[in-house]
Amino acid sequence: MVSKTEETQLSNLETQVDNGGGGAWEYLCLVRKLKVRRSDRVLKHGLSILNDLKKRSSLGPDEWTLYEQVAVAAMDCQSLEVAKDCIKVLRKKFPESKRVGRLEGMLLEAKGAWAEAEKAYSSLLEDNPLDQVIHKRRVAMAKGQGNVSVAIEWLNKYLEIFMADHDAWRELAEIYVSLQMYKQAAFCYEELILSQPMVPLYHLAYADVLYTLGGLENLQNAKKYYASTIDLTGGKNTRALFGVCLCSSAIGQIAKGRNKDDKESPELQSLAATALEREYKQKASDKLSLLTAALKGLKVSS
Amino acid sequence: MVHKYAKPRGYKARQLIVRARNLRSGANFIPPRSFRARRFYFSNEENGLLHVPKDQAPNPQAQMFSDPNMAMDMMKKNLSMIIPQTLTFAWVNFFFSGFVAAKIPFPLTQRFRSMLQNGIDLSTVDVSYVSSRSWYFLNLFGLRGLFSLILGEDNATDDTQRMMQMSGFGFDPTKSLGAEKDSLDIVQHDWALPKFEQRAEAVLRKVLS
Repeated sequence: MVSKTEETQLSNLETQVDNGGGGAWEYLCLVRKLKVRRSDRVLKHGLSILNDLKKRSSLGPDEWTLYEQVAVAAMDCQSLEVAKDCIKVLRKKFPESKRVGRLEGMLLEAKGAWAEAEKAYSSLLEDNPLDQVIHKRRVAMAKGQGNVSVAIEWLNKYLEIFMADHDAWRELAEIYVSLQMYKQAAFCYEELILSQPMVPLYHLAYADVLYTLGGLENLQNAKKYYASTIDLTGGKNTRALFGVCLCSSAIGQIAKGRNKDDKESPELQSLAATALEREYKQKASDKLSLLTAALKGLKVSS
Repeated sequence: MVHKYAKPRGYKARQLIVRARNLRSGANFIPPRSFRARRFYFSNEENGLLHVPKDQAPNPQAQMFSDPNMAMDMMKKNLSMIIPQTLTFAWVNFFFSGFVAAKIPFPLTQRFRSMLQNGIDLSTVDVSYVSSRSWYFLNLFGLRGLFSLILGEDNATDDTQRMMQMSGFGFDPTKSLGAEKDSLDIVQHDWALPKFEQRAEAVLRKVLS
């Protein structure tokens, strides 16, 4: 997660470096620390340091880190020759390194030589079956080739060992959603909520999945999770407000025939609708008529 | 670095514990049915992830015996510590018992008598005189820091470090798995989400007002 102060710091440095104001190395360090993806800039400024012998030698041992960073950025920008040169230098310095082996695998991957990359990765995994990065590269490779089912298989294998890695759970959830396997996706989102119960985005995504699954119980649960999103975001999340309205309308339709013994709080949806109306009035008054029409269609308008 | 990678099972157990702990702490945020399914998955008696069959759990004592080299090694180290110290102590005790070896340049209260005048059973001697045996003990314990400075970090005179190694020796995943299972079994599931509807209402009311 990149905090706001870090973001402004990053963009300040970025403009400074882009205008030739120096501080390229600090910028590259910050990019590495925040793990943001600025491959074009990293490639440009990193190369300018690497090609300048004086600047490069002043880095000391950090030089090799920079080589690695530039290599990855170059692969991202499809400058494969640059990446190849960087990896060659690294290989010469660290002949036995697994980390360089990983980079070589990534280069094969960038070239599109899937089978060879796969071979390189699996031989690396034999040496060290707990290398998380390589496991993840494999998943990404399967996904890049469009083999989503293979990607799911790899991810599940990965999660069998590294079951506390919530980013992997999130990736799996998104893949399942893209394949419309909502039950599995719901499981993954539950896992995410368990690991970080206070992140409203997971509540929201889980509610979306439940709403899509449909059925009275799922709809009621979806409404609860939209409500928790509203609570956690202080009522600022428009999607959650809409979700509450949609859920109440759908629940109303299903429960129409039955007797209403389970009491739904009728106030929540009207409050949500008013909140929506107010938001639209403030921020997009030209679309207010659309909103009122839509809410009227849902019969939740107050 | 090598030992970190050598045990995928230990690593997996650690991740498992983190996940089970998450389930315990976040239990109230998922629907009851999902919680029960997970708890069953973790702690059922047949093939639950946290369930460790009794005969499989490795006994640390047995582990020690299965590796006689380790036990021998430890014994040797201990002996090499104990024998010279006993000899010195006996020597000091025999020749210097009852002597006064030093005088502290400031007065002390009576409570220090047992610390400084070990071996002199006279209550009338001023407490600032240090008996030889006490001087020996003071040096033995007080000079440890100095020894480690002069002789390097792990020298033979320093046995506190070895004690630390002993106690941290071998993280035993099976034990913590069992503990985690027990605490998971007694978790009362109290779904927090129904409360959130009222809270959301309150939040919206506050926003709208």
